[in-house]
Amino acid sequence: MTQSKSSFTWRKITESKLFFPFIALALILLFDLIFIPRFFALTTQEGHLYGNLVDVLRNGSCVMLLGIGMTLVIATGGVDLSVGAVMAIAASVAAVMMNPVIIGLKLPPNLMKFINDPNFTYSPLWAVILVTLIVATICGLWNGLLVAYGRIQAMVATLILMIAGRGIAQLITNGVRIQIFYEPYAFIGQGWIVLPFSLYIVAAVFAIAWVLTRKTAIGMFIESVGINFRSSYFSGIDEKKIKLLAYTFCGFCAGVAGLVASSNIKTSDAYNIGLTFELDAILAVVIGGTLMAGGRFSLFASIVGALVMQAITTSMYAIGVPAFALQAIKGVVVVLVILLYSEQVRGLLHRITAQKGA
Amino acid sequence: MAESNNHILTMKGVYKAFPGVQALEDVDFALRKGEIHALVGENGAGKSTLIKVLTGVERPDTGTMTLEEKEIHVRSPQHAQALGISTVYQEINLCLNLTVAENILIGREPMKWGSVDWGAMNVQARQLLQRLDIDIDVTQALGSYSVAIQQMVAIVRALEISSAKILILDEPTSSLDAYETERLFEVMRKLKSDGMGIIFITHFIDQVYQVADRITVLRNGKLVGTYDVAALPRLELIAKMIGRSLTEFDDMTKIKLESSKHIKGEALLRARGLGLTGAVEPFDLDLHAGEVVGLAGLLGSGRSETARLLFGIDKPDNGTLTFAGKVIKAFSPLASIVRGISLSPEDRKADGIVDDLTVRENIILAMQASRGWFKYLSMQQQYEIADKYIQLLNIATPSADQPVKNLSGGNQQKVILARWLATNPQVLILDEPTRGIDVGAKAEVQKLVLSLAEEGKACVFISSELEEVLRTSHRIVVLRGREKVTEFTGEVDEHKLMQSIAGSEA
Amino acid sequence: MQKIGALISNNRRFIPLSATVALFFIAYAFGAISYEGMRDPQVFLNLFRSSHYLLISAIGMTFVMLTGGIDLSVSGVVALTTVASAALLREGWNPWAVMLLMLGMGMALGATMGAFITYLKVQPFIATLAGMWFARGMCFFISDDAIAINDRVYRILGMTKILVPGLADPVTKKGDFISILVIVALAVLAVAIYIAHFTRFGRTVYAIGGNEQSARLMGLPVNRTKMLVYTLNGFCSALAGIMLSIYVLSGHGLYAQIFELDVIASVVMGGTMLSGGAGYVFGTLFGVLVNTLIQTLIQFDGRFSSWWIRIVIGALTLMFIGVQSLLAARKTRQLASRKMTSQAKGAIAPAPLAALRNRQMLLLGGGAIIVIVLAVLAINGAQNAARGSVTNISTPTSAACQLKPFRQDQAASLMKAGAILAYERNGGSSCIDELYSVYPDGRIVGDDGTKKIEKQVTPADVDKLLSDINDKGWFTDEMYDTWHTPCGQCYGYYLTVSYKGQAKTVKAVDGGTDAPANYWQVVSTINGVIPHFAP
Repeated sequence: MTQSKSSFTWRKITESKLFFPFIALALILLFDLIFIPRFFALTTQEGHLYGNLVDVLRNGSCVMLLGIGMTLVIATGGVDLSVGAVMAIAASVAAVMMNPVIIGLKLPPNLMKFINDPNFTYSPLWAVILVTLIVATICGLWNGLLVAYGRIQAMVATLILMIAGRGIAQLITNGVRIQIFYEPYAFIGQGWIVLPFSLYIVAAVFAIAWVLTRKTAIGMFIESVGINFRSSYFSGIDEKKIKLLAYTFCGFCAGVAGLVASSNIKTSDAYNIGLTFELDAILAVVIGGTLMAGGRFSLFASIVGALVMQAITTSMYAIGVPAFALQAIKGVVVVLVILLYSEQVRGLLHRITAQKGA
Repeated sequence: MAESNNHILTMKGVYKAFPGVQALEDVDFALRKGEIHALVGENGAGKSTLIKVLTGVERPDTGTMTLEEKEIHVRSPQHAQALGISTVYQEINLCLNLTVAENILIGREPMKWGSVDWGAMNVQARQLLQRLDIDIDVTQALGSYSVAIQQMVAIVRALEISSAKILILDEPTSSLDAYETERLFEVMRKLKSDGMGIIFITHFIDQVYQVADRITVLRNGKLVGTYDVAALPRLELIAKMIGRSLTEFDDMTKIKLESSKHIKGEALLRARGLGLTGAVEPFDLDLHAGEVVGLAGLLGSGRSETARLLFGIDKPDNGTLTFAGKVIKAFSPLASIVRGISLSPEDRKADGIVDDLTVRENIILAMQASRGWFKYLSMQQQYEIADKYIQLLNIATPSADQPVKNLSGGNQQKVILARWLATNPQVLILDEPTRGIDVGAKAEVQKLVLSLAEEGKACVFISSELEEVLRTSHRIVVLRGREKVTEFTGEVDEHKLMQSIAGSEA
Repeated sequence: MQKIGALISNNRRFIPLSATVALFFIAYAFGAISYEGMRDPQVFLNLFRSSHYLLISAIGMTFVMLTGGIDLSVSGVVALTTVASAALLREGWNPWAVMLLMLGMGMALGATMGAFITYLKVQPFIATLAGMWFARGMCFFISDDAIAINDRVYRILGMTKILVPGLADPVTKKGDFISILVIVALAVLAVAIYIAHFTRFGRTVYAIGGNEQSARLMGLPVNRTKMLVYTLNGFCSALAGIMLSIYVLSGHGLYAQIFELDVIASVVMGGTMLSGGAGYVFGTLFGVLVNTLIQTLIQFDGRFSSWWIRIVIGALTLMFIGVQSLLAARKTRQLASRKMTSQAKGAIAPAPLAALRNRQMLLLGGGAIIVIVLAVLAINGAQNAARGSVTNISTPTSAACQLKPFRQDQAASLMKAGAILAYERNGGSSCIDELYSVYPDGRIVGDDGTKKIEKQVTPADVDKLLSDINDKGWFTDEMYDTWHTPCGQCYGYYLTVSYKGQAKTVKAVDGGTDAPANYWQVVSTINGVIPHFAP
C-alpha cells in the first residue's frame, strides 16, 4: 500500500483543491469567448504583449501578491485585515525615501533643482526597496505578536493596524500625496519584459512562498496548526512561531504589493492605495478553497482565485459595465461563491462524482 | 428484579453502533421513583452513549424505552426535556455572562406590561434556590460564582424548565471539593425525598457509596448488572468494572508478571517527588530501559495526569524529573520528543489525530517536528516510513494518502501509535492505546509493547482494562485518588492489587 | 474601606464602561483647560450634533456584536440610503414615504445577510462584506455624482435649531442649540437600552453572546434572534443614512467610506467585547462621544493633521481590548480558586501566566501610546494657552503644500472696486491658489497668481447667482466660519459675497463635516459658473 499510482482518476481531479477555482476561471473565460469578441486577442507593440488577458494578469498583480501572504495567515485559522493599510505605509516610506523634501528635509540648492527629475532619487533604489520591505515586514511582525503571543483574536488584532495604519502612512508623508518621478522605480509597476514586470515579481514571491511552505516542513505545520492546534502541540509543533511566521510573511507580501501599486500610479496616495484590497485578497483565498477556519491550503489555487476576481473585473470593463457597477457585481460573486462552497452544495457534488468514479 | 410499578424509567435491549465500534450491546436499565441510581463504568464502557440515547442526542439502533409505564421515542434534546427528562452536563451549559436569576428563568421570565420584570424574576429565582437550601445573591453574574454554585443553578434550571421527573447528573462532582460535594448530595437527597429519580454518573466510587441507592455497571458496551449499593462490597464492584470476576480470584491468587531478566539496572527516567497541585500528588517513580511499567487505577485516579508530567507537557510545581542522568528543565512536548520521550495521548480526537491530514502526514508529524522547520523529510522518506508502520501495525487504509478522518477509530489509534513509534523514543508512554481497537489488534499492540521493551525501550502502559495491564507489564504502579499508592512486581497477589485499586474498605 | 472594595467587586462588570466614561470626562476637562474655545458649551453640544448618525449606527452594531457577530455592511447601506433618498426626493417623492422606504430597504438587506449567517452558516465577516459591496455598488447605479437634497421637510429637520433651556435666550433666539436629529438619536438610544434590558429579545441577545450553544440547549430562539439582530442593524444603518442625508442635505455613493471602522471602534471603546456577551448600549454612547471628542480635540489643536485621529483611535481600541482580555483573564483565575468554603483545596487549573503577562504588556503598550499622545497635546495646549489664541484662522499653515495665506487684502480691494463676489480657493493636490471675482456686469475674472483669465456671462446670470446664494442662507447665522488643518488633497475656501447692501465673508476647508452643509452647495454652484484654468 504505497502512494496511489493512478494519478488521473476523475475523483482525484474533482477532489483537488484547484478544481473549483479553475472551473470558475474557465466559466468566466468561456463567457468572454462567447460574448466579447477579441477578448483573447494579443498584440505586440514595442516588444510588449498587449491584450485583455495581459491586463488581467497585470492588474491582478497586487491582489495575487496579497493573496499569497493571506493564504498562509488564513490557513493558520486567522485573517489579516491590515494588508491594505500596510500597502499604504510601504508606499509612503518608499516615496519619502526618494523625495524627502516633503517632510521638511532641506536639500542643498544644487540637489533641489533635481527634485522633479526622473533620474533623481534621494536614496538609492536598492535602499528604498529594502527599507520599505523591512518596514512592511515589521508591520506583519506586529500583527503576528498580537495574535500568536498576545492571544488576541486575529480579526481584532489586525483591525487595529487597519485603523491606525492609514493614519501612520499619512503621518509619514505629512498628508501629502507625494509625486514620484524617479523612473526606475516606476519600472516596478509599469515596466515590461515581454510581459508586465510585476508578473515576474509575483512569480518571484510565489516561488519564495512555495519553497518556504512545500520544500520545508513549514507548510505541513501551518496546515496542522490550522486543523487542530492541540494535536499539533502534542506532536511538538510550536503554534506560536508558526503563526508569527505567517503574519510576518503576509506583511512582507503587502510591502511588495505596496511598491507595485504606488509605482503604478507614481504617487503615494495614503488614503486610497490598497483601499478594500484586503477584502479582495481574502476572497481570492476563499475562492481558492482555503477554509476560513484554517487547514489545507494551496498557494496556486489562491493565485487562481485572485485571477478569477480580476478576470471578472476586466471582463466587465471590456463589456462596458461602468466602474461603479463592479462593486455590486463583486457582491453577487461573493454570494455565488459562498453558495457554491457551502457544505450542502459541495456534499452534493462530491456524491455525484463519487458515484461516477467509484 | 424489581417490580415494574415502581419504575419511572425503563430501557430494554438497547443497541447502538458507531462506525467501527459497538457502543451499546443489549443494555437494560431501570430507574425507580425516589432513588439515586449510580451509573458507572470505565472509559469506553458506554455510559455516555446510554445517556445520549436517553436524552435524544442519539437514536438507538434497537431497543425500547418507557417513561411512567408509557412507551416513548425521544426525538431530540428538546423533546426529552419536554417529557420530563432533565440533564445537567459536566460542562455547565449556561451563560456565564447573565445573572443567576436570568440563567434560571431566561426564556420564561416574568413580564410586566410587556417588559421583563426583574424584581419578580429575582424573587422567584431566590425562592427556587431556597427550596434546595441555597442562598446566594441572584443579581450577580453567574460567572462570578464557583463551579459548584454554577452547577446548583444548572440543576435548578433543569428542574424548573419542565416539571422534571428524571434528573440526570453527568459527572457533577469533578470540579467540586469535599464540602461542595456534600452540599450537592444534600440537594440530591432532598430531591429524592420529593420523589425524583436521579441518575448519577460518576467515576468516584467513594461517592457512589455515600449517596447512591442502586448502581448499574457497564463494561465494553455491555451491561454487567444492576445492584443494590448496600449489598455490593467495594472490591466486588471494582472487579466488575475492570473485568475480573470474583471466581477468578479464587482460582488464581497469584499472577506472575513478565520476567524482568533483561532489564538494565540504571533508571532511565527518574521522578522524585514529582507533582502538580490539583493534578497529582508528589510521587517517586523509576523507569528502566527494557521495562514496561503499567499504571493501574480507576478513572480519575490521576493516570493521565501522571503521564503528562512524565512526558513534560505539564510543568510540575514539585520535585524533579531526571532523564539519562540530567535534570529536566525545559518542559514542552517538543523538548521531550527531542530528548526521546513520547506520549500517545488518551483523547485521540482532540489531542491525537489531525483529521484533514493524510495518514502519511500524521505518522511523520512528530518526527518532523523534532527535526525542525528546515530538515524536511523527502517524499520518498515519508512514504517509506508511513508504509513501514502501515504494515507493522496492520493499519487498514487504501493508501498512505487517505485523510485520517476517513479511517475507523481503531485504525486512527494505530496511526497515532505509529506517529510515536516513528520518533524512535527511548521512553514511550501509552495512555489507553487500545481504546476502540478490536480484540485482535489489542493483542498485537500488547505484543508490540513487549517487543519494544526487549529492544531496550522503557514503556509506560496505561489502560482501564486490568487484564491488559497485567499481561503487558513487568511492574505495576497503582494510583488512587491522584496519588501513587503502591507498586507491584514479580508475583502479584491479585487480591491485594484489587484492594489497592479500590481503596481500604473492601 | 472594605465596603468600597465590596462595592467595586460586586459591580465589576461596570469597569470597562466606567473607564470609558472617565476617559471622556478627563479628556474633555483636559481640552477645556488647554483650549479656550472649548469652554463654550456649544462645543459639547456639537459633539452630539455631528455624531448623531454614528451613534445610531453604533447602537445597531452593538446588538450585533453582543451576539458575537459583526456587520461590515453599514457603510454601504448608509451610502446607498443617502443616494437613494436624494434621488427619490429629486423625483418629487413625499419625504416621509422616502424615509419609510429606506428603512424597509435597510431591514430587507439586513434580513438577507442575517439569513445567510444564521441558516447557511456563512461567517458574518464574509456575508456582511458581500452586503457592503453590493450596497455600495448599487449606489452608483443610481448616480455617479452627489445629488443635492432640496426638500423642505428635510431642510427643516436638518436646520432647525432647538435651543437648550438654560443656556439660551428664547427671546433673541441666540445661544446654545442642538438639532432635531440629536433628539432622534437620543430617543433611539433610550429605546435601545429598553430593548436590551427589558425585552426577551434583548436578553436572548446577551445569552447568545455568552455561549451560543448553551443558549440553544437552554431552549432559547437563537436563530430567530440572530436574524432579528441583523435586520435591526439594517434598520439602524438605514436610519443613520437618513440622518446623514438630512445633515448634509445630499446623497453620494462616496459618503461614509470606512465608516464601519469608526462604528466598530466606538462600540469597542464603549465597553462591548468583540467576542460578545458583555457590554452596555449606554457605553456605546460614550464610545461615540470619545471618538468625536478626539476629532474635536485634534481639530482645536490645529497642529496635527487629521490622520492622528486614526492613530489615536487605533491605540485606544487596542488599549480597550487589552483591558477587556485582562479582566477576562483575571476572572477565570479568580473563579478557579474561588470555592464555597474559605479554604481552597488547590486551584483547578492555574491560568497560563505567560498569556496574562502578554495581555499586561498589551495594556501597557496601548496605555503608553495614549500617554505620549496626551503629553504632546498637553504641551501644545499649554503653549497655545500661553499664546492666547487657539485656532489661527487667517493664516492656514499646512505643510501639505505650502498653503499660502488667503489673499484677504486683495479680495477686499476687489470688492471695493465693485466686485460683488470674491472667491478664493487654494490647496489641493496640485497646490493651486485661485482668486475669482465676479462683477455685476457679468464679467468674471480669475487670477491664479501668475496669470489671469476672463469669462463673460449675462448680468441676469449674476443676479440669479447672488439670489441663489442668498436663498441658501448666506447672510444668516446658518453660515459661519469653520476651519481645520486641511488634508493633502483638500482645498481651503475664502468667499466674500455682497448682496443688497450686506457683505459677508465665510471661510471653510473641505475634508470634514463641520462646515455648514449649504456652504458646499454655494461652492459647487460657483464652481459651475467660473472659468477654469488650463491644467
